[in-house]
Amino acid sequence: MGLFNREIFNRSKWRRFNILVIFVIAGFLAVIARLAHLQLFKGEALAMKAERQHQQVIDVEGERGIIYDRAMREIAVNLDMPSLYGTPSSIEDPWKVAKKISHEMDIDSSLLAKRLDNDRHFVWIRRRVPPEDVKKIGDMNLKGIGFIPETRRFYPKKELIGHLLGFTDIDNHGLEGLERHYEKLLRGKKGTILLESDARHRPVLTSTLFDPLKGNNLRLTIDEVIQYIMEKELAAAVDKHHASDGVGIVMNPYTGEILAMAVSPRFNPNTPGNYTSEQWRNRAVTDVYEPGSTFKLVVASGVLEEGLISPNQIVHDGRESMMYGGAVIHDPHPTNQPMTFKEVIAHSSNVGTAKIGITLGKDRLYKYAKTFGFGEKTGIDLPGEVNGIVRNPATWSGRSLITISIGQEIGITPLQLITAASAIANGGWLVKPHIVSEITDSSGNIKGIKPELVRRVISASTSRKMVEIFKEVVGPNGTGKLAAVDGFSTAGKTGTAQKIDPETGKYSRSRFISSFVGFVPAESPEIAILVIVDEPKGIAWGGSVAAPVFKRVAEQTLLYMHVEPTEREQLKIMAEN
Amino acid sequence: MEASPQSISYVQKDRLLLILVMGLVGFGLIMIYSASGIIALKNYGDSFYFLKKQMIWTVIGTAAMLLISKVDIDIWKRLPLPLMGISYLLLLLILIPGVGSEINHARRWFRFGPLSFQPSEIAKLSVIIYLSAYLVKKDEKIRDFFDGFLPPLILTGVMFLLIIAEPDLGTAVVIGIGSAAMLFIGGARMGHILGLFVSFLPVALALVLNIGYRRNRITAFLNPWEYSSTTGYQIVQSFLSFGNGGILGTGIGEGRQKLFFLPEAHTDFIFAVVGEELGFLGSVSVTLLFTFFLWRCFRIIRRHWGSFEGYLSAGISIFIGAQILMNLCVVTGLFPTKGIALPFLSFGGTSLLTNMIMVGILYAISGRSPVKYPLEGHRYYSKKRTFRKKSGAGNLELPLGGDF
Repeated sequence: MGLFNREIFNRSKWRRFNILVIFVIAGFLAVIARLAHLQLFKGEALAMKAERQHQQVIDVEGERGIIYDRAMREIAVNLDMPSLYGTPSSIEDPWKVAKKISHEMDIDSSLLAKRLDNDRHFVWIRRRVPPEDVKKIGDMNLKGIGFIPETRRFYPKKELIGHLLGFTDIDNHGLEGLERHYEKLLRGKKGTILLESDARHRPVLTSTLFDPLKGNNLRLTIDEVIQYIMEKELAAAVDKHHASDGVGIVMNPYTGEILAMAVSPRFNPNTPGNYTSEQWRNRAVTDVYEPGSTFKLVVASGVLEEGLISPNQIVHDGRESMMYGGAVIHDPHPTNQPMTFKEVIAHSSNVGTAKIGITLGKDRLYKYAKTFGFGEKTGIDLPGEVNGIVRNPATWSGRSLITISIGQEIGITPLQLITAASAIANGGWLVKPHIVSEITDSSGNIKGIKPELVRRVISASTSRKMVEIFKEVVGPNGTGKLAAVDGFSTAGKTGTAQKIDPETGKYSRSRFISSFVGFVPAESPEIAILVIVDEPKGIAWGGSVAAPVFKRVAEQTLLYMHVEPTEREQLKIMAEN
Repeated sequence: MEASPQSISYVQKDRLLLILVMGLVGFGLIMIYSASGIIALKNYGDSFYFLKKQMIWTVIGTAAMLLISKVDIDIWKRLPLPLMGISYLLLLLILIPGVGSEINHARRWFRFGPLSFQPSEIAKLSVIIYLSAYLVKKDEKIRDFFDGFLPPLILTGVMFLLIIAEPDLGTAVVIGIGSAAMLFIGGARMGHILGLFVSFLPVALALVLNIGYRRNRITAFLNPWEYSSTTGYQIVQSFLSFGNGGILGTGIGEGRQKLFFLPEAHTDFIFAVVGEELGFLGSVSVTLLFTFFLWRCFRIIRRHWGSFEGYLSAGISIFIGAQILMNLCVVTGLFPTKGIALPFLSFGGTSLLTNMIMVGILYAISGRSPVKYPLEGHRYYSKKRTFRKKSGAGNLELPLGGDF
């Protein structure tokens, strides 16, 4: 290797490597300089450009789920109400455009022109425009003006079912009723859309990052026709008796499916702003009232279940009044004859029931009130349900045992009462009432809601005895005879509760709540019905005010449901004719 | 002159190198999720789609890196030709329709279920090992044209053409530049290297001008804003990302450019997402982390200069460094757009695996004490570093002693 010097060769290779290193260092310095240029010196200008570009990304609400009744009739739908927007950067003469738009719809021309006179990529002009305006503005074919599809909630049946449905706000978020309770399911999923202009600078929706997804559809247990029957008859009764308001419920006593739930007076969920929040309330679940005699079902079931008294046992001598715990209670229509247990309930004797209550005793009365579901939420799928008020026996006064036995001094919701009555109707089971029967997601998967049993309340034999007693109530000598449905054996209980006078704080002699709860046909009930009329003027007996409503609703509903009248009754009708 | 095995001693491996790489890979996972989550949710119904894949490759890559770092370096010295053979075989196989999987008119991948494998990445590794062994073997004969310069030129040149045929210009360019740089530091005659460049120029021009999308990339590079809605779109969107990030950035996951605007956000343009979400401070920090990584490489190269380990570590550093620098330059618009991933950060399994294998080799080399200091006497050592020599280090041989 004579002339070749390895040391020099190796060093020269190292020098070459260092030349590469210098290049790399220079490269990294160039990158850092470039980053400073892009992010620091030109940063703001670039960020503005980016910001303008990002204005083109628009969130679009997914359509809200539809609500159907039992027979898949639409009761809450969405109307197409596109929203009008502009892309100022592609508008040449904002004043002219603003003038044209304000000519067609109610919008301030100069304010609009100012909004359009900048280089933004996107501004809203008006959210949810009515269809006729959409057409007029669409026909003008303006540069830089376009519509994005949006919807608005609409209730085609207006007042019908209004209290149950509730309503949504302008952004389609549920505020009351089912709309609120099922907000998460009903609400659509937001989509993201990129807005760009076509060659003629008209904005077009180009790519979609996420398609907006439709919310879940709900199918209710409510039947629009039965609901209509109930609302109509309830309103007629409230009207006829000049009552302040009323509540009516129709329920399947075996499954807890609510077929109708009406509140009078009604409200139109399309225009909730025209009503007070008081009027939106679904009193069937949100309001507590003192039930009066309908609550006697608790004490009666209790003594039967405990085997303390049998239905035909004489329990009362028929006297008009009695003293207990320092108070006197009266019977409005004393018979002055010995009465059996059955007759006490059929005539709704307060004194007789008080005696039964004393036999049952404080603790067991409390136990049965709780077992029947009073004092706790039924768990229905509606917002705002309350517990009601069932006080612990330790806090009762001396007279509480008898006043609670006859349904005063206790607070319940209408829904609790019909659920308790259903337990008698269905052989002794407390069911969980519900409104929604099916949930269908945006890809069509159906989730069915199964009926739920909460617990056994009374034995089947107790329930049979109670049905017999309740049939007596509707019988020719009972307080509820006006509830008897032609062609069907009917069972139920009347109630006339005194309200507390807010001025005196004592039970009023002029303010009553009249109610009737029952089921039909008595032996194998198809429906349980509760009617409550609040503060009727004049005659206020539950048997006179509420029982006829029960009868008319039951008749029409059974006819609609194609329930055949029981044969024996049919013969009787034919004989009478 | 070969060192006797007894004289090989071992020192503490460069743990910092490993920590740096794992840190970069971990950071890459975060950025990949940020950049791809929404698109993945849209296209695959799973926002973790890309992240999961990259995590699998990270596990495989980490295992491979640690395993390779245990392997005796001398094994690689015996493997260059088998490795080149396998690479050639895979690169030929992939061009057969039906064997290689075709995406966007490019045949670059083998598919194995959810994972895909890119042979051109393995080709890089074999070129490095082959050239390192070759340069050590030939020593000063590299200055000879037929006996020294030509054989590696042919072997890497054909490989370059096979990768161009896929087509995968980015990887081909990395192999071309990397190989030329290795021949350069290996002592090849400047005349040969310049000749290579001159003779390659017309080929490069023809390639660039003939194929439409590459020409477009060049025109877009020269004037991106003019072509901002067509060919310059990607680079302009990259600029907007950096600009939108400003000094502090929008915050991780808050960037909006990746939604509709910045294409390939989780692969080649992940640095633009870093720039948008972490701002100037973040992008400069990441750049500095990369330079720090390369400095650790430089220390290893210096200690082994002139030996097989020296060439191997230099080759690995050159290839990884070239990719880092080219990617950063492309994303910041200093270099025309090429499909080059950012090592350790970009989504891409084979690339991550190869890079981690390379780091594994570097790590192994860092633990090896050099048998001699080839640069002894060089002013770099004689002037600045002599004080480091301990009197006890008497076993050090004289530099390059014995031959003359």
